[in-house]
Amino acid sequence: MSNGGEILLHAEGLRKSFGGVQAVRDISLRIPAGTVFAVIGPNGAGKSTLLNLMSGIYQPDAGNMTFAGIDLVGMPSHRRVRHGIARTFQKIRLFKQLSVLENVLAGFHIRHEVPLWQYVLHGPAFRRDREHCRSEALDLLAFVGLKQRAHVTAGSLSYGEQRMLEIARALATAPRLLMIDEPAAGLNAVEVEALLGRIVALRARDMTVVMVEHNMDLVMQIADRILVMDYGQYLFEGTPADVQTHPDVIAAYLGAEAK
Amino acid sequence: MSNSATAQNLPSTPATSFVASRRFWLVVAAIVIAFLPAVFTDSYWRTNLIVCAINVLLAIGLDFVLGYAGQLNLGQSAFYGIGAYASTLLITQLGVPFWIAFIAGILLAGIAGVFLSMFAVRLRGHYLAIASLGFAVITYQVLLNWISLTQGPLGIYGIAPPPPIAIPGLPVIGFSNLANLFYLTAGFAFVVYLLLDQLVRSPVGETLTAIREDEVSAASLGVNGQKWKIFAFAVSSAVAGAGGCFYASFVGTLVPDAFFITESFSILAMVIVGGMGTLIGPVLGAVLLTVLPELLRGIGDLRLIVYGISVTLVVLFMPGGMVQAGRLIVERLQRRGREGTAS
Repeated sequence: MSNGGEILLHAEGLRKSFGGVQAVRDISLRIPAGTVFAVIGPNGAGKSTLLNLMSGIYQPDAGNMTFAGIDLVGMPSHRRVRHGIARTFQKIRLFKQLSVLENVLAGFHIRHEVPLWQYVLHGPAFRRDREHCRSEALDLLAFVGLKQRAHVTAGSLSYGEQRMLEIARALATAPRLLMIDEPAAGLNAVEVEALLGRIVALRARDMTVVMVEHNMDLVMQIADRILVMDYGQYLFEGTPADVQTHPDVIAAYLGAEAK
Repeated sequence: MSNSATAQNLPSTPATSFVASRRFWLVVAAIVIAFLPAVFTDSYWRTNLIVCAINVLLAIGLDFVLGYAGQLNLGQSAFYGIGAYASTLLITQLGVPFWIAFIAGILLAGIAGVFLSMFAVRLRGHYLAIASLGFAVITYQVLLNWISLTQGPLGIYGIAPPPPIAIPGLPVIGFSNLANLFYLTAGFAFVVYLLLDQLVRSPVGETLTAIREDEVSAASLGVNGQKWKIFAFAVSSAVAGAGGCFYASFVGTLVPDAFFITESFSILAMVIVGGMGTLIGPVLGAVLLTVLPELLRGIGDLRLIVYGISVTLVVLFMPGGMVQAGRLIVERLQRRGREGTAS
């Protein structure tokens, strides 16, 4: 879409090794605000590690990273959420024993505006906050198509529904940057179509979306910029049209997949 | 820690009828507490009532950190002992008034909980269990061997009951009377229950259960897991400390053996048999496991076997404890009721 916008997340020279394996080698990126930024690459290319570096599950061995001008290096993941970075997980990590609604409510953790004593003696501010969180949580569930399932346990949802619930839960933190790790994995065609519509809707609300994804149709349809990684390294970055025609990319990724 | 039983503890029904009945049951509980000493008039059973109230405190305290935050803390006997010894020593050695010593005992037990959890929050599951058990062993050994302070195995004798409360215009309430002492401990346990109940039904409860279910996931929502686990430990150990203060002033004697590590396991059994992750479960568990051995006294040492078998059966077949059993019965009755009206 637009390339001239503010750069929301800026990373330079990120590196991360596990033992002798260099999972991410010298990756730099600039993610413009209000865009969908996709990271693609063969399995083991380091995409998820890159996402974990951005969300703070791992700290980089080297490199710089800023988010809206704030230095992210060394900041634990729970603090990054307060600055507006939210994420979902490739291997789904819902609170499986809790209800669908309770999963989303847990996402409001950083947004409660209640004096502490009212947690013990439930006062008017507490009740207002609870009503507000509940109604917004139900809105988020409606957005991902799970409003009817609000009171079932999260573990009983279908795989595709669980992925959508993770997105709703992440959105409850009111992020500026939403990182979704393989959101279309295990989804059927109808669900992928719905997911696409939701990502487009989020971008229309000025949210920045970083997406690690294997579903090329989805990526090519909605990504504004695509970063291609291979063996932990930068291979190419550009628009979907550039990526589809770039010979290195075809050789390393699309070619390999066609076999 | 989280098993299939916790799933059934969730309100899957609309919450309105639930809230209405919550008030109702609290009133029922208050009435029951008020009438218990009138039903049990001999000092043997009144003594057991007080032990029940103290055990309820210990069990709901443990459940807060175990059932909600999901941290397997086996150090509860230590916090219980710290509360008991700290308050007693303040009274007997320094002449501190009872209620100030009471608050100090709670605070010191809470601080000990913070101290343990600051080291232990990085640990999980079995490792945390071992570390907290180690803390319980160390505390026991200190109580046993710091003879100049605690008088070791000889114990501290002649601890006075709480001082009488004199409200102008009313008869003086003295606590050498077992019924009054029961009202004091049970009333305190009731208030602690109410406060914890409010807390777990607030976003604090959501945060703690999120940590219990998946800490990485909780962090991705902005939850500082270490901070909240320390908080849960602090609350849990402070409540146990309060139980210790009451214990000392009620029994009148303190020996380290009352706070041996087996006490941690007894409290754990109360939480599990009652149903962890609910607050009412540990209350029921504490009452049952306090009263059951007394009821079985007639069969001599056989009672230990019966006690052991019943605890094992609950864990094997009813992992959600008495609360789960109760829910199953209610569900079955409702289903029968529906079938009855349908036919």
